[in-house]
Amino acid sequence: MVDQREFRDEELVTLCQQGQGEYFDLLVRRYMEKAFHIAFDFTRNTETAKDLSQDAFLRAFSNIRQFDGRSSFYTWFYRIVVNLCLDHARRKGRVVWESLDSLNETPGEQPQLADTSFQPEQEAIAGEAKRRADKTLETMPKKQRTAFLLRNQQGLSIADIAKVMKTTEGTVRVYLHRAVAALRQSLVEFV
Amino acid sequence: MTSNVPFDSACKSFEEDLVLYYYGEISDTERRPIEQHLSSCQSCQRFVDDLRRLLPQMAKSEEFPQSFWDAYYDETVAKLAKQRERKYWWRDLLAPMRVWMLPAFGTVAIAVLAVGLVLGKGNLPSFTDRSPKNFPLETLSDAKQLEFFESMDMLESLSKLEEQDDQKAEPNQSSSLRFVAANV
Repeated sequence: MVDQREFRDEELVTLCQQGQGEYFDLLVRRYMEKAFHIAFDFTRNTETAKDLSQDAFLRAFSNIRQFDGRSSFYTWFYRIVVNLCLDHARRKGRVVWESLDSLNETPGEQPQLADTSFQPEQEAIAGEAKRRADKTLETMPKKQRTAFLLRNQQGLSIADIAKVMKTTEGTVRVYLHRAVAALRQSLVEFV
Repeated sequence: MTSNVPFDSACKSFEEDLVLYYYGEISDTERRPIEQHLSSCQSCQRFVDDLRRLLPQMAKSEEFPQSFWDAYYDETVAKLAKQRERKYWWRDLLAPMRVWMLPAFGTVAIAVLAVGLVLGKGNLPSFTDRSPKNFPLETLSDAKQLEFFESMDMLESLSKLEEQDDQKAEPNQSSSLRFVAANV
């Protein structure tokens, strides 16, 4: 049974590297939601997101001895998740983006783009805006989309995104700017 | 809500900084000139307002119940346990050993090997002793067959020698026959 006291990521990684693999379960508990949501943002499919994110945990565990601590564990782990998602997208030919409408069946939970009170006409506009945003993300270059998803959906800092994407912070800034500008451009008539 | 204001983009020289400004990814020294510019530029103000309206909506992700996460965790941990089992199967074999026992066993093994080499030094010729009594039966039967074939080869060689001798003797033989015929 794993000791439940609060460990830092680095401590857990060290314990795993010393052969106490059961401590990796705590890292799963800590990062499962984030890992799943990254994969979900990329795939828009619950089962695929679950498989990809679980696969990322398995790969991280089997390569834990190669983690040298030069970056934080989550940056290293995010990189594994993102690479698996990009590989999956490559195999599929393109990222499949389901309409966000299907994810929000309950009217009260519908995301609102411009107003807090919803009228049927406004709902239709919001639905169309979401479809347009999906389409823009779908056709966006992968690196721009990755930078956008990691920043906007996952809240990673630009410095961390640069580590995850193995590029410079300046390049990430450019990717992010282009992605946001493209999204704003596609949605400008809805704002 | 659709906007009736004609679309105009932010100032090109500020656009990238405004995205970073929205995300809070800008240093204090960079922030001041941006805020100064924003206070005087309506287009850039509108650009940032648009980002504030649009981007948080896009970040909304599907909510999953706690039961989903519990099942997810159990499934992942089970997969990891299976992987650990495959990875560390050899540890079960060594599990009864205490930590100090492994180097101790190594030392004993090396000592035994060294003693064996020293004591066995005088018996080294026994390794090179190839007398037939030391060979297994299968090997001996093969060796007998080999001897048989060797003897066959020898017989063949002898018969060749005989043929050669006959060929040499043949001219003399024919002349002697001719001599006998003449005398008759």
